[in-house]
Amino acid sequence: MSTAAAPAVPARSAGAGLRRGPWRRFVRNPRAIAGAAIMLFFLLVAAGGRWLAPFPPSAPHVLDILHPPGGRYLLGTDDLGRDILSRVLVASRVSLAIGVLSMLVSILAGVLVGTLAGFLGGSVDGVLMRVTDVVLAIPVFFLTVAFLALFGPSVGRLIWIIGLTAWPPTARLVRVEVLALRARDFVTAVRATGASNTRIIVRHLLPNVVPVIVISATLRVGLAILTEAGLSFLGLGVQPPQPSWGNIIADGREYLGVAWWVSFFPGLCVFLAVMGFNLVGDGLRDAFDPRLQI
Amino acid sequence: MAGFLVRRLLALVPLVFGITAITFALLVLAPGDPVLFLIPPEQRGSADIAQFRHELGMDRPIPVQYISMMADLFTGRLRSFGDRRPTTRQVAEALPTTLILTATSLALTGALAMPIAFISAVRPYSAVDHAATLFSLLGISLPTFWFGLLLIFFLTEQLGLLPASGIRPTGATGYSPLVIWRFLIMPTIVQALGILPVLVRYARSSLLDALSQDYVQVARSKGLAERTVLLKHVARNSLLPVLTIMALLLPFLLSGSVIVESIFALPGLGRLAVNAALSRDYPTVLTTTTIAGMLVVVSNLLADLGYLYLDPRIRHG
Repeated sequence: MSTAAAPAVPARSAGAGLRRGPWRRFVRNPRAIAGAAIMLFFLLVAAGGRWLAPFPPSAPHVLDILHPPGGRYLLGTDDLGRDILSRVLVASRVSLAIGVLSMLVSILAGVLVGTLAGFLGGSVDGVLMRVTDVVLAIPVFFLTVAFLALFGPSVGRLIWIIGLTAWPPTARLVRVEVLALRARDFVTAVRATGASNTRIIVRHLLPNVVPVIVISATLRVGLAILTEAGLSFLGLGVQPPQPSWGNIIADGREYLGVAWWVSFFPGLCVFLAVMGFNLVGDGLRDAFDPRLQI
Repeated sequence: MAGFLVRRLLALVPLVFGITAITFALLVLAPGDPVLFLIPPEQRGSADIAQFRHELGMDRPIPVQYISMMADLFTGRLRSFGDRRPTTRQVAEALPTTLILTATSLALTGALAMPIAFISAVRPYSAVDHAATLFSLLGISLPTFWFGLLLIFFLTEQLGLLPASGIRPTGATGYSPLVIWRFLIMPTIVQALGILPVLVRYARSSLLDALSQDYVQVARSKGLAERTVLLKHVARNSLLPVLTIMALLLPFLLSGSVIVESIFALPGLGRLAVNAALSRDYPTVLTTTTIAGMLVVVSNLLADLGYLYLDPRIRHG
């Protein structure tokens, strides 16, 4: 039991430091706060969009086809007379859910690979980093497109494929952090108490890598939302009739000349939501360690 | 130096093997039988199917299929399920469009990124630097395909300035710059915008790094003009990593080409890949991903050679 008391010190001091330094820097950064507000707004919309929508998202208003923004339809209607505002509101949930869940997949994979490579070193490190380099160098979008077309697109597959192709940058960052921490005295001290590798990693290394993981995760969400929108635009993402920001943009593509609003508003949502996550990610990076190359 | 090159070449083998093996595994594991897509339902006697499968070589063990498919691919004997032409010919027709677009995008990105990065690095935290940072943030957050549609809306639909689809006017052939430049403007802007923020951020930190070096202090204390210090000492030394990162941006550009080529109906590699995947044209899917992977490999190699040429320390070290 003697191992329990001593080792928690670095983790706890990291927590205390968070309350004093980085947190204060984050709150005093207007761009980070703006980003947090945008992020929160979209998360609330995603949670409550279904109830905020003035119409059912797929209800056709046949007399108001391609109705310009205004009147009953704040953001206009599409070629089937469906209300764009309702569709965009309802779509926010699936678009953000895919963004957040695929981020979780890529962060878990990245942290696992990065920690193992950094902690174990040697040939394990060599092999894992080689694999990371290969995945990083492959034009993964070709594989993603092939996978979704051959297996058929579904929300679950989108989450997995986006997550499993996006982990290498996180793995590299975590590896570098773990490599630096591994050589620190407190790790040697913990090891001297007879703690197992798993215990050292989970209780002592990972808590100190949390800032890097959180920053990386925030930026990943933005990228994942962009990827999902792009795939849905190609027809390989979320399938109609379920609306997603990407597939609404695709709906409007044919009517660009006569009804710009169909593609414009869902695209604006993607832009703003991704910007919110990126601002928060940048703000966190500046608050914790501006030198981090993320 | 020879050792360096050999090591780099050997390191590329797992890359090519990785991408082809993953693609082949996808093809094998995908649900549905590709043979059934090739035979119309009314002709599906079970004997025919077995016969056809045998002709395609799809009744052999999977490793054998992989090796023979790769051999066929590289010798031009692998034929598309769609139009039955050799996949290498399809790729040969598509590749110029993608390569031209990639070249123009890289050129535009480099031309924009260098001055922006230079100004923000020389005057860090100035108004220009903050504007560049903000611009980078906007660029990173922008869905490029949506931006492409906005360009089409303004420049084609509203102003009628530029053509929105294809690489050349109907009836024309070839890739004469005089014929195709109007078709390349919008796709190039969209592609460049996708990688510009990455390059600016990278070039800026590379320049800042160079600015803090001792030799810059020495050059300044020798009394050299600031202009000479910046252009001769700083810019030259920070160019190297930037050139490399441009080669490393190729995977992003190729991934981007999938979407950009489909917005602007450009007959390139990305669109060939999407269409092949959607119509379950297995040979063409395998070929396009392999070629995309090899393009990355080649660009990595070119980056290494550029390094070798520009940095004597590697050549002699």
